[in-house]
Parts: sequence; structure tokens; C-alpha cells
Amino acid sequence: MAKKKFICKVCGYVHEGDAAPEKCPVCGAPASEFVEQKPKGLFSDINSNAYIILYSVVMVVIVAALLAVASFSLQDRQNANILNEKQQQIVKALGEDPLTAKYGDVIAEAQILDAKGNPIAGKSEADVFAALQDMKSTLAAGEFPIFKAKNGCVVIPVYGVGLWDAIWGYVALEPDLDTIKGIVIDHKGETPGLGAEISTSAHHALYVGKKIFDDSGKFVSVTLKKGGTNPNDPNYAHEVDAITGGTKTSDGVTAMLHDCLENYLPYIDANKAANSNMSNN
Amino acid sequence: MNIKNLTNPLSLNNPVIVQILGICSSLAVTVKMKPALVMGLSVMVVTAFSNLVMSSLRKGIPSRIRIIVQLVVIAALVILVDQFLKAYVYDVSKQLSVYVGLIITNCIIMGRVEAYALGNKPWDSFLDGIGNGLGYAAILLIIAFFRELFGSGQIFGMQVIPESWYIANGGFYSNIGLMLFPPMALIIVGCIIWIHRSLNKDLQEK
Repeated sequence: MAKKKFICKVCGYVHEGDAAPEKCPVCGAPASEFVEQKPKGLFSDINSNAYIILYSVVMVVIVAALLAVASFSLQDRQNANILNEKQQQIVKALGEDPLTAKYGDVIAEAQILDAKGNPIAGKSEADVFAALQDMKSTLAAGEFPIFKAKNGCVVIPVYGVGLWDAIWGYVALEPDLDTIKGIVIDHKGETPGLGAEISTSAHHALYVGKKIFDDSGKFVSVTLKKGGTNPNDPNYAHEVDAITGGTKTSDGVTAMLHDCLENYLPYIDANKAANSNMSNN
Repeated sequence: MNIKNLTNPLSLNNPVIVQILGICSSLAVTVKMKPALVMGLSVMVVTAFSNLVMSSLRKGIPSRIRIIVQLVVIAALVILVDQFLKAYVYDVSKQLSVYVGLIITNCIIMGRVEAYALGNKPWDSFLDGIGNGLGYAAILLIIAFFRELFGSGQIFGMQVIPESWYIANGGFYSNIGLMLFPPMALIIVGCIIWIHRSLNKDLQEK
């Protein structure tokens, strides 16, 4: 049995044994003056280093577990929201009201094209939406998602950089693959009231009916023109008004439309011919 | 005592207009009323529960790492709120964007934990948190009301200024673009403080 320690309250003498001594050998105090010294625990003092480290470790583990559980259980719902938003934007780009028209009713097929404009085999719709999640690396990998609507229109996702951060959108082309049927542009952090106006429906309405090819069939995309457009200008069919006070953002949109639509030229050339053949027949 | 915890921060000890805390987010998320309401409620949830948790733990927290523990508790709560918003009100969480994450640095929350929760019982601290959150939300909603009404002609997204009044439709009225910018929120906060102090003479500095 381990020996207990007794301290004399009068002189501080420490006696080791099973009980307090009858008389303190130093100062002569009686046994009642002795108190038992309890062994000091490692964690008994809340300002000791050991306690602080233990406290931090336990706290971090509990918090991490809590956040992991929350993140895991809400993941499906969050992903469903993100998917739903993308689908709604695609439907909106086609000029339909996302409240009444469902994605499944409007879109026939979602594909990923390679650089030659041929669909990459074995890509499911889920793969296409996964590719939309990270457009930057999708485009870098030479993969170009496209959505084919039941009425012959196609929706092309575009992605670029505005003044402050990423901008993206969906361009819907008429079956002639030249005329813009509708567009939706969204942004992450453009200046509210200025650059952020690119995400308003008033701005999107400007694009409707614009053409991405000129009369000779050359790809010109659509440009946001600073100072406004003029119906008498020969390029009027390929220009929309830039955002006043958002020149850098407007330039970003112009570059985004040009660079992203350009990737689809092989596809457009191949299918434009097919579409016009069909109409000739 | 308990009731005062709840009512004091609404007016006489309001975190925004008396303590001048949390100004940053009250400029940023008050363009529309709906995001302002969600932001106010989120801050209320975080202040209430961080006060509750910190107050329950207050006797066991080593004072040397007190601030770190506060940050961990507050950050964990904010992440939870952010996750819930993303899962249940996705459109609003998109509008609030980074400002939900920035609740962590909202001075109101750490201020209340440090000044109140660490020295008071959990239930009192919880009410104090609710009260301060409500005080913050109330000011946010007042600012957002004026900014949305005069900036977009709407309240909670509903058009209240008749369309026919607008110049575009042959009327005489147009929205005030300045209302959409953060400086206008600062001016409105200034006006609220002005009115509030002239009604409560005790608050006026000599």
C-alpha cells in the first residue's frame, strides 16, 4: 500500500506513513494539526498546460465530428439545390419560365463534345452537370458541355472572368445555330449596381435575336459595345449595349462569349450544314 | 432581470446604433429586406447559442485560451448556419454570399460572449444573445426597408410603388440609384442614431 503524506499545518513538515504522527517531530504540534496531502492530479488545475492541451484536443475533436455530421447529412440537399439552379438557368436561357417548364420537359439530351465537335461517348447527364461544376478545368481539358433542347435549340454553357471574379452563363441558340434565342449570365462578385447588372433580365433581353456569324459566315460572336449600339451600324446584329460604369465586366462578358462559343465552331459548322440540308430537302 | 436582457439591446443598448458594432454587415446585406431578415436571424441564432455554450462552459475554460475557445465555438456555429442556409434557402444564401461566413468576425458576437456570457448563467446569457440578435436584426430591417423601397420600389420583393409612376411608363418617378450602394446605408444608420439619441437624452454625450 502506498504511503500517504501528511503535512503539519504549523511548520510545514511532511510525514509519510499510514496515519498522522502523534506529535510533530519538528515543532511538537499534535496530530490534529496534520492534514493529509492529496496527490495532485495532472488535470486538476485549469490553467496547467496539460489541462489546456487536453481541453483543446477534446474541443477540436467534438467540433470536427459535429461539423462532419452536419456537412454529411445536408450534402444531398445542397447538391440538389445547386443542380436545380443550373437546370433552371438552362431553362431560362431558352426563354421558358422555370416555374412552369421543367428541365426534363425542355431538354432532350445533355452531351459533352470533344474539340472536333463530336460527342464523347459514355457521358451521362450527371457527368455533364459535374463538368459544369468546375468549368475552368472542364474547358482546359478540352471538354465542351452542350444541351440539346427538344425544339432543336441548343444551350451552350459559357465561363469567363469579370472584373473581380468568375462570371458564367448559358447561351441558347436557335436551330440555325446562329441566332441567340436567349441568354442567362451570372456572376460571383461583380460590383452591385454596376458590373452586377449583367445578371439582370433587362440586360439579358438585349441579346435576343443577335447573331454570332456575320453575313459571310464568319464567326464574330457578340460584343458589348461601350457607348451603346446604333441600329444603323453595320455590326448592329452582333452588338449589345455595354453596362454603363461596368466596362471591365462588359469586356469580360465579350471575351467569355467569344472564347467559349469559339470552342463549339466545329460542332456548329457540322450541324449547321445538316440543319440547312434538312430545310432544303 | 431576464426580461431586461431581452429588451435592453433592442433600444437603449442596441448593438448597432448604440454600441456601433456590426456596421460592416449592416451596410452590405441591406439592399433587400429578405436577405436582411435572414442575416438578422442567422446572427441571432449564432449570438444566442454561442452565449449559451460559452456560458455553460465558462467554469472549465482555461483563461489563457479563452479567445481561441470562443472563436472555435462561434466558427462552428456559423458553419452550421451556413450549411443549413445552403440546404434550405439556397437563393438567399447566394445573395448573402460571404457575409454569412463573416458572421464569425461580427463584433457583436464576440463582444457579448466576452462581456456577458463568460460571467453570467447560461439562461441569462441565452436571452442576452437573443436580445442582441433581435436588436441587430431590427436595425437591419429598418435600413433595408428604406433602401429597398426607394432603391427598387419594392418591399420583400413585392412591387409597392405603382409601375405607372415610373418615367419609363410615362410617369414622374424613378428609383434612387444611390440607395443600392453601401454609403447610403451608412447615411441611414446615421439618421437612425440621430433620431434615437434625440428621443433618448441619456445617450447623448456631453
